[in-house]
Amino acid sequence: MSQIKVSHLHKYYQVFKKEPGIIGSLKSLVKRKYYDAKAVDDISFEIKEGELVGFIGPNGAGKTTTLKCLSGLLYPTGGTINVLGYNPFDRKRQFLRQISLVMGQKNQLWWDLPAVETFLLNKEIYEIDDKKFKRTVDELSDLLDVKDVINVQVRKLSLGQRLKCELIAALLHSPKILFLDEPTIGLDVVMQKNLRGFIKKYNEDFQATIILTSHYMGDVEELCKRVIIIDVGRIIYDGSLADIVKKYTRNKLLTIVFREPVTKENLIGFGEIKNYDSLKARIAVPIAESNKVAAQILNNLPVEDINIEDPDIETIIRHIFNTKK
Amino acid sequence: MRYFRIFILYFEHVLQHRARTFVWFLVSLLNPLIFILFWRGAFQASSGAIVGWTMSTITSYYFLLTAVSSSLMSHIEEDVWRYDIQEGELVQYLLKPFSYFWLKFFSEIHYRILQGFYVVIVLIIINTVFGRIIVITQDKNLLLYAIIIAVLAYLVSFIFKMIVGFIAFWTTDLYGIYDLLDIVMVVFAGYIVPINMLFEPVRTTAYLLPFSYMIYFPVLALQGKLSPTEISRVIGYQVIWLIVFIGLYLLLWKKGIKKFTGVGQ
Repeated sequence: MSQIKVSHLHKYYQVFKKEPGIIGSLKSLVKRKYYDAKAVDDISFEIKEGELVGFIGPNGAGKTTTLKCLSGLLYPTGGTINVLGYNPFDRKRQFLRQISLVMGQKNQLWWDLPAVETFLLNKEIYEIDDKKFKRTVDELSDLLDVKDVINVQVRKLSLGQRLKCELIAALLHSPKILFLDEPTIGLDVVMQKNLRGFIKKYNEDFQATIILTSHYMGDVEELCKRVIIIDVGRIIYDGSLADIVKKYTRNKLLTIVFREPVTKENLIGFGEIKNYDSLKARIAVPIAESNKVAAQILNNLPVEDINIEDPDIETIIRHIFNTKK
Repeated sequence: MRYFRIFILYFEHVLQHRARTFVWFLVSLLNPLIFILFWRGAFQASSGAIVGWTMSTITSYYFLLTAVSSSLMSHIEEDVWRYDIQEGELVQYLLKPFSYFWLKFFSEIHYRILQGFYVVIVLIIINTVFGRIIVITQDKNLLLYAIIIAVLAYLVSFIFKMIVGFIAFWTTDLYGIYDLLDIVMVVFAGYIVPINMLFEPVRTTAYLLPFSYMIYFPVLALQGKLSPTEISRVIGYQVIWLIVFIGLYLLLWKKGIKKFTGVGQ
């Protein structure tokens, strides 16, 4: 059953446009020109209970705006949204008790006090009973390995520790729906990995529905079976991550290691040369011909090793954005 | 009970800024000294009372004005427009199943309580060192009414300042409005001279505007300078302004929140 239903969602911002220079400034004193910036332009999708969906797109694509509309922060210009049976913008208490939005760049922790004080505030706000509060804080701080720091003043914590504490504050009320906006931004690779593990576990343990936006394809690849790709406010792909590769990959990549130096001229004709040095080359070859070309290379050149692979997901996504522009 | 616990948690937060609030209060204490020096000259020249004020009551007036201003005048507007609306901190409040109004109320009232505490200490010290120069009414009934007027004054000031903050939903540069408001308050709240000394029609305008009910009348009530009729009139006006501001608050919130972008406005 769908927990999130979005139908023809539009969100336009009115933006002031000023001509450059002093003349433009003087003109704008008398008459200001505005135009509608289309942050989200007619998108529709549904998300089922327990799904973990990756929302990806370049900067300004409309990812965060969509999340803000879904969590009731923004008033949509048009279209309808239904989350858990509620219109998010009504911000009914019963609705807010079941969702959480974590934004990597915004925080709710009190800067001058230990994180546990913010947890206590959320305990009261969400009316969490003492037993459940204690159990959840113990469990989450254990899982995220911050047991020792929740009593330390927030301003003294590292970025990673702070983000983990933010997550605890956002999850204390065990939300059924979790919106994660760039949750791993600014974290080192080890911390990113840990956080991904945690998100996955939360999704499985609580059957929570999670929408995640990220610039790191690693987040999406590791966590999401389904992705929604958005660009200039419109959805350009909605489906499984595996299908993207099938749908958008026209070439396979052949990585060849040579026994002895080979000139670049010898490789022309096999495909598009992506990288070359005399002992190693990467060649893009149409999928249908990849086996045939690999056989030809093996027969005609001094090959030590050959590897046939799909392009990485990041390359595919970049290709999708470039071709859609 | 839940509201009380949230109230206490916010108090812990504000206590972290106790030194900063004490410095703010000390700085504000310098203002009455300038006015008192001016009035000393004026009273010496006139050799008597001026419009019902003597050197002693005017000294009390300016010290109490500072005290009332520190403990009753809310400064929540900057929080609302700069941090919440323009920098997008409002996001965190909107996501909570709890009223934004009350969370802001709890975050602000502790500053006033803390400043009120400093006020009492400093006024006691001044009276001990310099003799009884700051005089408040000894009449228990008048004191009770003064407390009622003070509570209403704070509520009027708090909601008014929240409304001022909401202007940021529609405009990015609030500094002009903010400075203009400061000038209006200085004149109409009795900061420069007691309002009954102002010339007509400024005096009548001051009685009609809400600012005198936030500062000036609470000071007069503390000094015991209000008659029973005046007390009822002041409370009546405060209640009317409270109702007007609550209506305006709800209207602007409903309209403004639709304009909120959650990032820079």
